[in-house]
Amino acid sequence: MGITDFFSAAWDTFSVPSPDAEAPVQGGSSTKTPASGTDEESKDEKEVNQKDAKSQDDGEQGHKPGDKDEEEEEEEEESVDPKDTLEQECTESKECSPAKHHYDECVERVTGQIESDGKAKEDCIEEFFHLAHCATQCAAPKLFAQLK
Amino acid sequence: MTMLARSALRTVRPLGAAARNAASRTATRSASTSSSTAEGTASSWKTNALPAGATLFAIGSVAWYYQMFGRNVDAMTPAEEGLHPTKYPWEHAKWYKTFDHASLRRGFQVYREVCASCHSLSRVPYRAAVGNFMTVDEAKALAEENEYDTEPNNEGEIEKRPGKLSDYLPSPYKNDEAARAANNGALPPDLSLMVKARHGGCDYIFSLLTGYPEEPPAGAVVQEGLNFNPYFPGTGIAMARVLYDDLVEYDDGTKATTSQMAKDVTEFLNWAAEPEMDDRKKMGWKVLAISSVLFALSVWVKRYKWAPIKSRKLVYTPPVQSKILTKLPQPPNKS
Repeated sequence: MGITDFFSAAWDTFSVPSPDAEAPVQGGSSTKTPASGTDEESKDEKEVNQKDAKSQDDGEQGHKPGDKDEEEEEEEEESVDPKDTLEQECTESKECSPAKHHYDECVERVTGQIESDGKAKEDCIEEFFHLAHCATQCAAPKLFAQLK
Repeated sequence: MTMLARSALRTVRPLGAAARNAASRTATRSASTSSSTAEGTASSWKTNALPAGATLFAIGSVAWYYQMFGRNVDAMTPAEEGLHPTKYPWEHAKWYKTFDHASLRRGFQVYREVCASCHSLSRVPYRAAVGNFMTVDEAKALAEENEYDTEPNNEGEIEKRPGKLSDYLPSPYKNDEAARAANNGALPPDLSLMVKARHGGCDYIFSLLTGYPEEPPAGAVVQEGLNFNPYFPGTGIAMARVLYDDLVEYDDGTKATTSQMAKDVTEFLNWAAEPEMDDRKKMGWKVLAISSVLFALSVWVKRYKWAPIKSRKLVYTPPVQSKILTKLPQPPNKS
């Protein structure tokens, strides 16, 4: 055992282990079961779960409404984008009221033009830009505080 | 200019005085005979006409010049320029922070499930993911899902083999022409260096992904086959909005809102563009630490070496002088 072994041993002891070493062995060495992301396991689980559910249904009737409620809750639990709500709040805030005022006025004017002349003489892109700029700038720090 | 202005000021004062005088005189003497005052005012007006006119001309020319050349001139309308992205407080952009690697993992998932159907990421190999947001086995399994060309075999045939860690992420289209043909003539750009390639970087990509309004503002003309996005220069972008709430299901349980997915995928693309960032910042700290120590040391050494030189004192003590005459042989004292 030479001096180089000492150094390599010391390095192994104190260094951060490489990611190659810490990969967990999953389901033997076959390539058919990669680490994650396959449907196989979940299918098995599904079958088991379905059986469980059926047996439960057979056995106890009291669970049924509860289960339904849970399912409905899961379905209802659609995540709302905080960006939309925050920017909506910002648009209606005092900070952006001038931009919003201009934009609303422009929209009114242009829709009036379209209704009377059949086509718009101008567009509200610039007003929209000012409003969007104000709203996003106001919402940016709040949004990133909420995101992970 | 100042000369002109001063002369103008000088002319204004006597003009006013003359006018005042004339007014008072005409008030008092209008009934009387003399017309000499009128002549006097006329002559003073004539003498002042030239400097006053010159001043007016100078001011006018400056005003004309300013309105001609002094204002901001934009070659493009705001719509053509596109809305500048808002600055977002990116955590990984701070100079003492690394990428959030959980976010990278989520972002890669978003890329793979959403973006990869059109956009290639051709400069990123599977091995780059190892240790950053995937384990070796995960990356290997992912690589093996795709087929790559082998070297020519003994008959010169090129066969297919499952991917390896050293392979690069597959592109959705064979070449740019195929990509154009599949996307109504618009080429989905490669995303490997996109964060570096676009003005605004992360902010631009995040804004672009989340910035599709429900409907374009009134009067905006959106060509057929294009979508309105204020952040895209020209506002007409071929890519439709792709990120909707709960589009992907994160395996770490994070709520997959539109902005969360956009943030993750943007951070992932930033990693793809500069995978060296974490190491670069770490190296920067090392450089700062070591060079500050070395600098302090060099200051100390300099002071140490120069201390005797700076603190020495040159003193000249002249030799004891005695009068030269005393050294001459004295004549014998006769007294």
